[in-house]
Amino acid sequence: MLEAIIAVIATLALIAIALVVFFRIRAGRKGEGPTLAAHASVRSINTVVSASKGSGMLSKDAPTTSSPRGSSGRMSDGLKSRFLAMSLLAGGVFGTLAVKLWSLQILEGSSYRSDAQNNLYTTVYTPAPRGIIYDRNGFAMVNNRTSLTVLADPSVADDHDTVARLSALLGIPFNILVQRIEDSSGGAQSQRAIETEASLRNVSFIVEHSDAFPGVSVDSRTQRNYPYGALAAHAIGYVGTITDDQLNREYEGRTVQSGDIVGQSGVELAYDDLLAGDHGVRTLVVDSAGNVKDVVSETDPSRGSDLYLTIDATVQCVADEALHDQIASVGAAGSVVAMDCTTGEILALANYPTYLPGTFVGGISQDVWDSFNTDDSYYPLMNRALAGTYPPASTFKPFVGMAGLDNGFITKGSSWKCTGTWTGFGEEYPQKCWLEAGHGTLDFYGAIVNSCDTAFYEVAKEFYNSNKVSETAIQDYVKQFGFESETGIDISGEAVGRIPTPSWKAEYYADAPEEAAWQPGDMSNMSIGQGYVLVTPMQVAVAYGGIATGKLMKPRLLKEVRNSNKEMVVSAESSWQDLQVSEDHLKTVREALRGVVTDNAEIAKLFPSVDAAGKTGTAEFTDKADHGWFACYAPYDDPKYVVACIIEEGVGGSSSAAPVAAKVMNACIKSGNGKLKRNVSFVSSKYEKGKGGKTSTARQD
Amino acid sequence: MAEMQTISSLRTPGAKSTRTVSPKAGLKVHLPFLITAVVLVVYGLIVSFSATYGNANYSFPKQAMGVVLGIFLMLIFWKIDYHQMSDYVMFFLIVNVVLIFLPALPVVGLEVNGARSWFKLGPLSFQPGEFAKVSVILLAACVVSRYGGNLNRADEYLKALLIMAVPFVCILTQPDLGTGLVYLFIGGVALIIGGARAKYILITLAVIAGGIIALFTLDPILDEMTGSDVLLKEYQRSRLLVFLDPSYDLAGDGYNLQQAKIAIGSGGLFGKGFLNATQSTLGYLPESATDFVFCVLAEQFGFVGALVLLGLYTSLVFNGFSIAKNSNDLFGTVVVVCICGMWIFQVLENIGMDCGLMPITGIPLPFVSYGTSMMLVNFVCLGLILSVWAHNGRH
Repeated sequence: MLEAIIAVIATLALIAIALVVFFRIRAGRKGEGPTLAAHASVRSINTVVSASKGSGMLSKDAPTTSSPRGSSGRMSDGLKSRFLAMSLLAGGVFGTLAVKLWSLQILEGSSYRSDAQNNLYTTVYTPAPRGIIYDRNGFAMVNNRTSLTVLADPSVADDHDTVARLSALLGIPFNILVQRIEDSSGGAQSQRAIETEASLRNVSFIVEHSDAFPGVSVDSRTQRNYPYGALAAHAIGYVGTITDDQLNREYEGRTVQSGDIVGQSGVELAYDDLLAGDHGVRTLVVDSAGNVKDVVSETDPSRGSDLYLTIDATVQCVADEALHDQIASVGAAGSVVAMDCTTGEILALANYPTYLPGTFVGGISQDVWDSFNTDDSYYPLMNRALAGTYPPASTFKPFVGMAGLDNGFITKGSSWKCTGTWTGFGEEYPQKCWLEAGHGTLDFYGAIVNSCDTAFYEVAKEFYNSNKVSETAIQDYVKQFGFESETGIDISGEAVGRIPTPSWKAEYYADAPEEAAWQPGDMSNMSIGQGYVLVTPMQVAVAYGGIATGKLMKPRLLKEVRNSNKEMVVSAESSWQDLQVSEDHLKTVREALRGVVTDNAEIAKLFPSVDAAGKTGTAEFTDKADHGWFACYAPYDDPKYVVACIIEEGVGGSSSAAPVAAKVMNACIKSGNGKLKRNVSFVSSKYEKGKGGKTSTARQD
Repeated sequence: MAEMQTISSLRTPGAKSTRTVSPKAGLKVHLPFLITAVVLVVYGLIVSFSATYGNANYSFPKQAMGVVLGIFLMLIFWKIDYHQMSDYVMFFLIVNVVLIFLPALPVVGLEVNGARSWFKLGPLSFQPGEFAKVSVILLAACVVSRYGGNLNRADEYLKALLIMAVPFVCILTQPDLGTGLVYLFIGGVALIIGGARAKYILITLAVIAGGIIALFTLDPILDEMTGSDVLLKEYQRSRLLVFLDPSYDLAGDGYNLQQAKIAIGSGGLFGKGFLNATQSTLGYLPESATDFVFCVLAEQFGFVGALVLLGLYTSLVFNGFSIAKNSNDLFGTVVVVCICGMWIFQVLENIGMDCGLMPITGIPLPFVSYGTSMMLVNFVCLGLILSVWAHNGRH
């Protein structure tokens, strides 16, 4: 306001000066005018007369030309008006400029001032170390390490000699160095990281010969460190440079910058806001060429919060290794999940093939990325426990059995006769039991323990033929065990699977109407977990937990979050849904599942020290080897843990999946008793073809 | 050739006899004019000092040397009776053409920023086009003063126009459109003060405007046909287009304009203080000591400082007009008004381009921009004006 007033006064003063000058000139002209005119006229006559003397050509014009000049009054008038024109021009020019400057400097001054500030100050962000990821017992599974980073100013790219020296010292090709220096993804003014894993020797050389490396500096930065390799790789996830989509997303209570390292999968992604920490901020005065002239302010980065996961590193290690060892002999890929069925806490989540999250530190090369996305590699980045959808096969039978029991179509004492071939839906539609010789006469217990298909075809037939229940009574019933919906685990990438219904089929085959009709066979196939049914290992684990406890737990990986002062900031809580099923019928199913373990010597010996209950499954495929399933919980009388395992192309559930699941279950039990000695070793990721023992031959089947 | 003869036959040997008063009693001084000039030069030096401060490309002592040299030149021209110069149409025409074509010579000519406008011989380098401004003024004054204030015949008007058009056409070959516009403006002022009919001047303006429009429409067509820059250089075209639409090229000339406006606008009322012009010291403002020197002033000293500069120019020009009116011959009047006109145009163009009022051209701000050639020329002009005052015998 004051400025504006002073400016007005200044402008008025200028106008006053201009007026004074103008009137002074006018007064002067009035006083001197006649003298000047007379004088000038005399001189001009002289001039013109002499001109006419010297010029023959102009002589006839000379009198006419000279006469107005000679007459003092007219000459003066002519000049006067021309001087007035020039004065107006001068006044107009200076006035216009003054008005324009007034508008620029006074009216729009503040906006230009902020533009100048934007030019002047540049904010540079330094990355904050991410929080550490611990297991449930405070064992650090992922931490940070300091790496020596060689940084170069953007201008070094034009300095051929320095780049050549760096190239020779670091062993990085010249062109690649230039590319890295010219990469402005971290911000135009920020220094460019040209080597993130420099050796102490090279760093010392650069520091000692700083004259030879102008614009090059060395910084120690923190990087993600994975001391146990692929341990819990899919649960933990990997980190990477922020993508454009992530940059444009809304973040609460945190700022992200281009070039930031952020979580890209697993808990690194799910709890990225907690792990990330706050950037260090440096405010710099920078000239137009990008050279830093002054540091105005500087705040250090602050480390992110630490995560304590529900995972038990030792159990996880057992799971990773058991899966790896199994698939080394039989199988192509697989997944095993262990959950505390009283809390939903995941103790282990393992997949095979797996990957080393460390591969992503400092950026992953296109070749390696491509190799992660081929059929031959079996997609090691895929978190099969959540995203892998498989036919559940016989592991589905307890749920179909529960549907039959709860709807009153069967009882504990129902009896079925299995001849190996079932023609319940007509002679022209024969269906086989897996045991082609037939199981003979079985009750419910026997049907589960022997996994007799015929018994469950009968259940399907009861539902199909009944008028009392809806067309989708089985589907609706089994869905309350969590099938065809997300388990709600706290990391992303979950698939929901599928429980087929007539309306689903009609839509699915909308382009092929002859296939779209719901067939009785679809019901019977579904009843044995084949056909169109698809589930994830996590869904199976949660559903078996439901049978064991009557509660459908929401699985989770987070136990608690502590800030860098070790103060608890978040403590995860369990949540569940009570199953609306008959407790008596649950008991019947539990007894049968217990029988699967006790009545089968091969499986019984897998659980030497705990009473477990479980179910095998073998998902059949026409184009590849069968998938083996095993789901179990223990202890039988007071269920605490549930484990689900699938081995792709593992052939038999009891031979491939059950041993893996049992090893994990036994580790869980020991862990719960405090008898498990901490033993975590480096987990490798041998997804390469030929390294996994028989896997390559198994694939050719 | 016929026109040449006509003009040269206008020569009046008797003109010398008009020098009736000889300045024996020392040089007469027009005090308000001289004081204004001194203050302006000092102010210019202060701004020049801050604009060159910490910039290795410019040397302030060199600029100061230019001022010292300029003062000597000014004293010489002050001493000389300007009447002696009123007869040399042919001479000034030749001087003009020689000066303007000097940089085109091999070895001594030097190309800077796309224009071949520098003369360089050993340690000596200058812009002959700047010096030609003086000879253009003298040429214009010689031509129009022949007509005694009545340039009211179309053929005579055309002759005068043609002679004055010679330097303009010559400078366009460099090409230096900015300096060419200064020549054009000087010619226009000379014609106005020289008494050309308003009708003629209006027709000339209309023809020029039509020519510019034709140039802009024909240029792309001709470029396309021949595959090279025929009429306008690409940068000239882009500068004019940026002037018409500042968002046309934000990274190039639009960037310069934007940074210039930021520098001026951020100065506010009182500015950021001496040597605190961040826009220029950090290099955001291009050519901060030469073409955009006004921005350095406006950023440091604010609106008040800019008004002081404009006030000084106003005082210089109006005092000049007062001297011009007191001249005892038309030649003196035209010389002084042409010089003032040149300054008005240069101030308008230089400050105007910084504010986005005018297209961007390389025209220096009198007494403020860095450059010895420019400084010497302006001191010669001061000397000429003072000479017109000093060598009129009526005082």
